[in-house]
Amino acid sequence: MKSLSFLLIEDDEIERMKFQRVFSKLGKRHTVTTALHGEEALETITKGIIPDIILLDLNMPKMNGIDFLKHFKKEEHLRYIPIVILTTSNNYQEIKNCYKEGASGYIIKPLEYEEYAERIKFLVTYWEHNEIANL
Amino acid sequence: MTDKIEILQRALERERKARKQAESILEEKALELYELNKQLKSSNDTLTNLNQQQTSKLKGVFDSLVDAYILMDIKGNIIEMNTAAKKLFGYNIETEKINVVNLIYKEDIQYAMQSYTHLIKHGFFQNYNARIYTKSKHVKRVHINASLIYDSSGIPTAAQGIIRDITTETKKQEIFENQKQQLSIIVENSPVGIALTQNGTFIEFNKAFQQLLGYDTDELKKMTIKDVSFEEDFPSSAAYLKQLDAGTINRFTVSKRYLCKDQSIVWAKTSVGAVRDKNHNIQYQVAIVEDITEEYKQEQLKKQLLLDLEKSNNELNDFAHVISHDLKSPLRSMNALIYWLKEDYSKVLDENAKDILKKLTLKVSKMDALIGGVLDYSSIDKVQQRQENVNLQLLVNDIKKVIFIPKNITITIPRKLPTIFGDQYRLQQLFQNILNNAVSYIDKEKGIVEVSFSETNTHWEFQIKDNGIGIEKRHQEKIFEVFQSLEHSEHSTGIGLSIVKKIVAFYEGKIWLQSKVGKGTTFYFTIKKNS
Repeated sequence: MKSLSFLLIEDDEIERMKFQRVFSKLGKRHTVTTALHGEEALETITKGIIPDIILLDLNMPKMNGIDFLKHFKKEEHLRYIPIVILTTSNNYQEIKNCYKEGASGYIIKPLEYEEYAERIKFLVTYWEHNEIANL
Repeated sequence: MTDKIEILQRALERERKARKQAESILEEKALELYELNKQLKSSNDTLTNLNQQQTSKLKGVFDSLVDAYILMDIKGNIIEMNTAAKKLFGYNIETEKINVVNLIYKEDIQYAMQSYTHLIKHGFFQNYNARIYTKSKHVKRVHINASLIYDSSGIPTAAQGIIRDITTETKKQEIFENQKQQLSIIVENSPVGIALTQNGTFIEFNKAFQQLLGYDTDELKKMTIKDVSFEEDFPSSAAYLKQLDAGTINRFTVSKRYLCKDQSIVWAKTSVGAVRDKNHNIQYQVAIVEDITEEYKQEQLKKQLLLDLEKSNNELNDFAHVISHDLKSPLRSMNALIYWLKEDYSKVLDENAKDILKKLTLKVSKMDALIGGVLDYSSIDKVQQRQENVNLQLLVNDIKKVIFIPKNITITIPRKLPTIFGDQYRLQQLFQNILNNAVSYIDKEKGIVEVSFSETNTHWEFQIKDNGIGIEKRHQEKIFEVFQSLEHSEHSTGIGLSIVKKIVAFYEGKIWLQSKVGKGTTFYFTIKKNS
């Protein structure tokens, strides 16, 4: 099984903890980097840490999720990286808009932590089974 | 002696000669006279002929005159009448004698005498306009021009008159004047301004128009349309005016401003119509001007209010949306944290602590459901959903699988529910909330919820009947309000029925209920067809 690098862009501390906790329990060789918001994520990437998959929250300070998505998909050398949205919003327009702007997935954070853990496991498994256009 | 005789003889001879000469002169003269006489006779004949000719010619002219002609002596006795005159008065001059005095309408006698005096004094009168009697005692209105006729020594011997029957004309004129007056009363008293213009200047206008602008008549007559208009409004009329000139339209209406004397501005609906001559060229323009300043202000106010409302509505929706999401996130954190407590400290926590954590989780769930409700409620009329045919039978059957139904309760559908036009999501919310409500308040051993329907031309009507606890009269109005639930229940957020009400309103329907405490409740609601 190949090793995947995830970049989680999330301003909420508990949310980052939730993701990492689920991740560490998976016991896989994948890595997780976190960024507090869009700007920090871009900085990380320009430093040369290019993730295989980006997980993106929508409600964030500074650069919000949609703005980051738009910006990112304009970058010729980055736009191939899949971005999966992780949010609480089930608003139809928002979902449509994210896919329109090039999102590769849209996962709603459920209330129950157990359910959340399930979804993240599925997410990781899904990408493990996908080919990644890594250079 | 002989001398004397000689002298006498010579004298006699001279005398004879002289006589002979005289005779020959006389003869000559007689001949001349004869010739002259002959000439005279012939010219007299010619003259008589001529005279006869002229007389008959004149008679022909008189008879063929459309107007009546009368010749009378100085005392008013009629000597001659032409055909038209005979026809007008009904008398025949050849068989009866008439004096013009007998023809005068009694009320006009004084006026007639004045005119006669004028005739005698000045030799004529003109434009006499009065009434006369005909032989059959009908009254007619006539117009007369008359003049005196003099003999060779300058003494008036007769008078002649040309009479025109203007009875019909006068009547027509009267009707016309009447109508004109009526029309002018209407125009003058019209509450809308009316102005007649030519080449941009005011020709005529009514009181209302004048009052609208605040100018007096003389001021306004010196002014042009441009003087009371705003240049910014010209473009809106320009295209219409072109069409009016081209003859493709005869009338147009615009809303424009007018500048009043006191520099105030009046908004007016102005309807401009063209008055054309025989060649279809515009002779005048008629403008009908209606003050709509108040309406305009109201309209502007309405527009502003609507904008404000839309804005605050959007703000409210955005607010509900943002708040809901901001509230949702911490709840997810709380749920995770409680879970971690239980997971990481399962060995340390006693039963009481575990119970507290369980209750805490439930409260978090309740809070999440509330927020979800608010979000649903605020987005009912916001998001345009796909309209399609929705099979309600399938929809309700699906709901039965989704919601929690206690084992003692059954939902029955006696008659297969219709397929209606609407959006799946809203209709599901509608039925789900009502059914959820119904199954939540049943205290009977065997609970029954029945879904049925009927229809009118315009609406579908649905009935959802349960044998639950019922709703007291005093609560019946309140239950459709947001956050009103009859009792605190784990299942109820207090938003369900307000969502129902909002969806029904969205489909232009009504919702009401009948309930008996202890017996059960029936909810009724309608949905407009094809809305």
